[in-house]
Amino acid sequence: MENSAKQKVIEDLLPQKFGKQGKIWVGILIFFCVIGLIAYIRQLSKGLQVTAMRDYASWGIYISNFVFFVAISLVGSLITAVLRLTDVHWSTPLTRIAEIIAVSAITFASIIIIVDMGRPDRFYNLFIHGRLQSPIVWDVIVITTYFFISLLLLYFPLLPDLQIMLRFKETTHKGLYKLYHFLGSFWKNTAGQIRISEKAITILSITIIPVAFAIHTVTSWLFATTYRPGWDSTNFGAYFISGAFLVGAGAVLVAMYVFRQHYKLEKYITEDHFDKMGKIVVMLALLYLYFNVNEFLVPAFKMKKPEEEHLRGLFTGEFAPVFWFAVSMAMFAPILILIFKKGRKPLPAFIAGLMVVIGSWFKRYLIVTPTLLHPFLPMQDVPASYRHYFPTWEEWAITIGSLAGALLIITFFARIFPIIPIQETITETEQHEKA
Amino acid sequence: MKKLNQSFILIGFIVLFICKGINVLAQETKNDLLLNLSYFNNNNSYIYLKAIAKTKIDGKFQLVKDVTISFYITKDSAGNLLGTTVTNDKGEAVLLIPATSKNTWSKSVKQSFVAVSTANKQFDETKANTDITKAKLQIDTAENKMITVKVLELKDTSWVAVKGVELKVAVKRMDADLGVSETQTYTTDSTGTINAEFKRDGLPGDSKGNLILVAKVEDNDQYGNLSVEKSVPWGAIPSYQTNFFKRTLFARRGQSPLWLELLAYSIIVAVWAVLIYLILQLNKIKKLGRATAL
Repeated sequence: MENSAKQKVIEDLLPQKFGKQGKIWVGILIFFCVIGLIAYIRQLSKGLQVTAMRDYASWGIYISNFVFFVAISLVGSLITAVLRLTDVHWSTPLTRIAEIIAVSAITFASIIIIVDMGRPDRFYNLFIHGRLQSPIVWDVIVITTYFFISLLLLYFPLLPDLQIMLRFKETTHKGLYKLYHFLGSFWKNTAGQIRISEKAITILSITIIPVAFAIHTVTSWLFATTYRPGWDSTNFGAYFISGAFLVGAGAVLVAMYVFRQHYKLEKYITEDHFDKMGKIVVMLALLYLYFNVNEFLVPAFKMKKPEEEHLRGLFTGEFAPVFWFAVSMAMFAPILILIFKKGRKPLPAFIAGLMVVIGSWFKRYLIVTPTLLHPFLPMQDVPASYRHYFPTWEEWAITIGSLAGALLIITFFARIFPIIPIQETITETEQHEKA
Repeated sequence: MKKLNQSFILIGFIVLFICKGINVLAQETKNDLLLNLSYFNNNNSYIYLKAIAKTKIDGKFQLVKDVTISFYITKDSAGNLLGTTVTNDKGEAVLLIPATSKNTWSKSVKQSFVAVSTANKQFDETKANTDITKAKLQIDTAENKMITVKVLELKDTSWVAVKGVELKVAVKRMDADLGVSETQTYTTDSTGTINAEFKRDGLPGDSKGNLILVAKVEDNDQYGNLSVEKSVPWGAIPSYQTNFFKRTLFARRGQSPLWLELLAYSIIVAVWAVLIYLILQLNKIKKLGRATAL
């Protein structure tokens, strides 16, 4: 590869300052974060009574949001680890996008679980008095582990790019330069360093897969180890993981389109990438659909009384509009769009990805709340507010604030670091040319 | 013609009035209240009356609550009133025979009791009565776990053994009584006695191994319901075992099963060992970088 071509790749992929659009975008995200923070301060001072959560629906949109974040974080293991280990090279430009989505999502998954606590000041009790037998303790352990693995998987491939960025001292902000220097000044691109780094990435890719499976399986066990209609399933781990891969892949489609359009990366994130990711999303949507059929058909066939109430609530009752919206948005419509070659073009693929993400968020809500509102014992002598659940403005604000926060992490990351690996792109181009 | 029309209108009004009347009557029709009165003598000291109120709705008997029942001794006159009580959710109204009625009670070896329900919107006044002869049970036990129960009837001023009375001998348990053997009922012989063998060895008793034996005459036409109890040390002393300090899946912190701890910690250690190894590798990369710079 000629030096000028290399230089062009570096110039194209170096992080860029926020333009007008970027500043407006950041402003909007900060605005939602601040509103969320205000709502959380209200919740802290007044207690969980500001939420619509009561005796029955004690897990509302906070936990739905937590499950959503955990789900979306799984994409890091899919794109980075699974595709890397299977020697699929077309996904190289997408690995960092997937990893930063994973890191930001897992960060906010941890935060939102604390938000759900009425007394966060007592969080330390989980460590002092936590029981190893409790799936909640497993979740804390596995989330922490996954967070560190994801960070390392983000950091190791970033080292060669940091060295590249350090070359542009004059054009780099002083603070950013210090950060690059702190993080990657020791990288000299020697054969020994490259060998260790590649080995480390392979080890991380192998390690992250079981941990990623564990994180979402354990999250599913928070529900499935409880004997309740809608949760009492041996299928829940696989059901959750398939759904997680789907929403993660959908999020990557969205992020691909946004970065491609905003940073003019058409040369690096090509239509072929959308075509291939589109096919993956179709496959994952079909897989998730299969698990959904399993999840609903078997209890519907037996139709035990509590299950019947739960299923009727979902299919034709109180939750039917949300249920059909979620299923159509997360599975049916994306399949119909992406199954055709024209549907796998950037814009329709972006729309399909967006539908997957939105539909999947509501799907998580449907996994959590309707079950809580259908207990085995009939609800008697309880206030009307206990029988239904609709989040208060504080809950919406905190939830939207957390989603904005996750997007803010991704946005700032793209401002500070190259969102497409520079060195890997150069190396792969060279290898391609040699071949 | 005009007269004929007037007649039709008049007949019409009469028919309408009769129909309305029938309708009103139908609405005001009351159900029949069935009252059942029983006499109980427990341990020859606790004597009470129990009335059960029922009604038939849609072909099914249903217990009726909130019915006021007045209990009388001998006959239902104001001077013979023992007391008034109200039926509970099970349709039962219970009244202990008060000490104030001792004189009336002592007058005769036979007694009549009357229960009268107060009329209300649903039911008319209903009466039930029961006649009893005063009787009592005596229970005794022998070392070889034999139980002797005697039925005695008051004749004039003395207690006389009664032949041919059917009774049950059981052990009191939490929810129901358990027969002392496979024999369901016993019938008194000419000495008014029955002998029952205790065949429930190993039955858990209280903390000292005590069981409560109970002998019962139930719904006897002549004597009502009689019962007598006796505590015997024939039960097994229960040994309370707690899993609280054992390692179980539901145990408290620090008491989780060893296999779970080993499995969980080995996974955590294995994964974190990999992470620590990778951080060390990062350090190695740093060292290599510094060496190259020099």
